[in-house]
Amino acid sequence: MSFAEVAEWFAFAILAVISVAGALGMATTMSMFRSGIFLMASFIGVAGLFVLLSADLLGLLQVMMYIGGMLVMILFMVLFSHDPGGSMMAEMDMSLIERFFSLGLSSPPDEGMEHGDGMDMGGSGGHEGMEHEGMEHGDGMDMGGSGGHEGMDMGGMDMSMTTPVKRWAAALSLVLGGGLVALLLLRPAWPTTDATPSPESARMIGELLMSKYMMAFESAGLLILIGIFGAVLVARPGAYPDRDARDAYVTADLPPAPIEEGRPPSADAPVPPEALEEVTVNEAHRDKAGGPPSLNGPAGHAASQSAEGDN
Amino acid sequence: MAVPLTAYLIVGALLFGIGVYAVIAQRSAVMILMGIEVLLNAIGLNLIAFWRFVNPEDYSAQIFTILIVTIGAVEMGIGLGIMMLLYRNRGTVQVDQYDSLKG
Repeated sequence: MSFAEVAEWFAFAILAVISVAGALGMATTMSMFRSGIFLMASFIGVAGLFVLLSADLLGLLQVMMYIGGMLVMILFMVLFSHDPGGSMMAEMDMSLIERFFSLGLSSPPDEGMEHGDGMDMGGSGGHEGMEHEGMEHGDGMDMGGSGGHEGMDMGGMDMSMTTPVKRWAAALSLVLGGGLVALLLLRPAWPTTDATPSPESARMIGELLMSKYMMAFESAGLLILIGIFGAVLVARPGAYPDRDARDAYVTADLPPAPIEEGRPPSADAPVPPEALEEVTVNEAHRDKAGGPPSLNGPAGHAASQSAEGDN
Repeated sequence: MAVPLTAYLIVGALLFGIGVYAVIAQRSAVMILMGIEVLLNAIGLNLIAFWRFVNPEDYSAQIFTILIVTIGAVEMGIGLGIMMLLYRNRGTVQVDQYDSLKG
């Protein structure tokens, strides 16, 4: 083996391990933000493989499009959505200053319990199934997830940094990936050629895009335009500015709550805490809003409906 | 080319399997979109590997990959827009809690 071959094998091994391990970390880490960072590692690995395959323009495009564009969108969506740190952030024992710096990432434990996202993911705590699964256990342990979760029932919740493995999905994907690898290994070699691509492949691609594939090129431009319009149209502020407004609208649609025996139906009567835990979110919101239900009644209903008709 | 074609294809197959696992097993819609991105990456890697080893004079495979990246970007934008709308209306991005139509 010459030096160039050894170097090529070395680069291939590093990049392949980066891409596959990044994808595995993406699929198994509980924190969604960390998943995004692992996905970036996987993209960089694949971009390096593109460069190694002398498709340098595509390697550049991979870095620019996926990491510069899509990953920023993904991380924005992760931070926008509830509970981006996974359910592990809710019961971490953080001091006040840590809680300040992770503002928006963590919620106080009672609020996290109310939403209940990802709280019931016990049950399938098995960690077998993915072969490299244990390798992400080392990272992030500096966050010291000692469950200082006073007074709450932890249930079957495991505090590891990885999502519990879904057995059937793991089995299916293992069978699929293993089958693909077995097919690749069993198949006789493809008719490969020793020809090398031209060093100015970017110019060739540009000429092809402007001549033979011009229709596809222009259609892709039109597709992007329609995609921008669709995304803006879908994600624009609609009838409900936030969830509370929508809850108010839904509450106005509900039948009035039954009046319990022996208690005057006054709105500002103190509600015992055990009764407060039983009411649903909508009714809780109505209790919080106070006042008679007719305040949310026909006027607000009509306004919301006209706004919805505009949507 | 010291590294054979099959090595690249095996990397692509592993990425594909991991992407399928992420799409099936994850409950958050953002994670499902990430899995789809891994799937598209695996497909692009396969296309480029075949281009490099079978027919490197024809650059059509790179153009296909560029189109795949484009469509992936558009799909990601619209998917995140839909997800933002769903989050605004339902207050969650966990796909198994979108069960309004469940009988």
